[in-house]
Amino acid sequence: MSMAKDNGALSLVLIGGSSGSFAIFEEIIRLVRNPLSFALIFVLHRGKSSTAVLPEIFKNKTNVAMSEPYHLDPIKANSIYFAYPDYHLLIGPDQRFYYDRTDKDFFSRPSIDATFLSAAVSGIPVKAAMLFSGSSADGAFGMKALAERGFPTYVQNPADAESPRMPEQALLAYEKHQVMVDGNLFSIINDILQ
Amino acid sequence: MVLMEYSELEILIVRIREISGFDFSGYARPSLLRRASRYLTTHKMNFHELLAYIEPGGNVVYGLIQELTVNYSEMFRDADFFMKVKTEVFTYLESYPTLRFWVAGCASGEEAYSLAIFLKEAGFLGRSLIYATDLSNKALTAAREGIFTLGNVRTFSENYLAAGGQHSLSDYYHVAYNKAAMLPELRSNIVFSMHDLTGDGVFNEFQFISCRNVMIYFTLELRQKVFRLLYDSLSMLGFLCLGKRETLRYSGLEENFKVVDSTLNIYQKIR
Repeated sequence: MSMAKDNGALSLVLIGGSSGSFAIFEEIIRLVRNPLSFALIFVLHRGKSSTAVLPEIFKNKTNVAMSEPYHLDPIKANSIYFAYPDYHLLIGPDQRFYYDRTDKDFFSRPSIDATFLSAAVSGIPVKAAMLFSGSSADGAFGMKALAERGFPTYVQNPADAESPRMPEQALLAYEKHQVMVDGNLFSIINDILQ
Repeated sequence: MVLMEYSELEILIVRIREISGFDFSGYARPSLLRRASRYLTTHKMNFHELLAYIEPGGNVVYGLIQELTVNYSEMFRDADFFMKVKTEVFTYLESYPTLRFWVAGCASGEEAYSLAIFLKEAGFLGRSLIYATDLSNKALTAAREGIFTLGNVRTFSENYLAAGGQHSLSDYYHVAYNKAAMLPELRSNIVFSMHDLTGDGVFNEFQFISCRNVMIYFTLELRQKVFRLLYDSLSMLGFLCLGKRETLRYSGLEENFKVVDSTLNIYQKIR
């Protein structure tokens, strides 16, 4: 059994998606059990007026602490974080979260690229990055940057995705992402999350 | 997409300072890196080409600084915040004979005009003075003009109504040449002026300071310094408003404020 260490080195698991990803996110959170040896960070496209508080929605699915972090909050293992609407969520090299309200990427704020690219250069090890269903090309650059730096990257099989464009574009930008097909999607995810 | 490395960003910061005197050393690196990477991407160049491109003699470096510092805003951005200001903060300030507001980091003036409109609707714009400051002369020129595209104004109107505006936003602007120009009477109680939060000091005492989504671009150390400036610029029981994901945490001044609204980040100076 692996134990989450407070004093161990921080690592990240990054998960991005847009339309058609919500149910998958919900299932992933259901698979997560305390303690986690890493910080789990979700970036889901949402409108700026989205009032849904994701930690509230998911609170009965897991016993791991969830939050929409504040600017400069330290990133901690054994925690689940969600990007907040109308801001980009950046990962700092000092292991803190940074918010940014610059232009949208692919009409999205939060954007998946913003978070993933910031993680790629942060110096914090990325245990895994995953990209799921969505109807824009957001995430493709970030996934490529992570893969090129040697971090494991996983993409949902476009044929299985409700909106195939997002995983398709990621594979177009970089063809060597590992593709997760429907039959073993959650067993792969479950292995990553252990 | 070109992605700059932090080591390159530090070199760029030094070069910009040498060429122009503008100092980015107090700027939060993650956000600055994102902006610089986007600059490389849109200008289709790599880091070394950028260094050559900004060499002394041209205006290029100022264009770069502009792009690395520019901020965009909306009128009545975060409708729930403006609603709270109107219902809670204005009610409190109502009894003051004169009022001074400061919008610190005002970009193109959207928030200053929003405040002026709500003050007018509350009936005390006449005894209020709004100081709206920014680092960028270009932004301030736009702010003084008070002209916005109709596309943006559509969003502003939705925000205004969601915030509890009493009329129609179109009561507050003229349309000409497909643009919306804010009524001059709103501007008569706004002073737009240049102020650098990172270097300039206290210039007045305020009952209300809004500095939303500005300090997210500063390092933790610089942010503490700016917090001190805002604190020193507030009158006792004056209000301080921050962006939705900002907090007083890590400011070193938590003890001096009372939380008015923890979700919308409105605080009141109590010591």
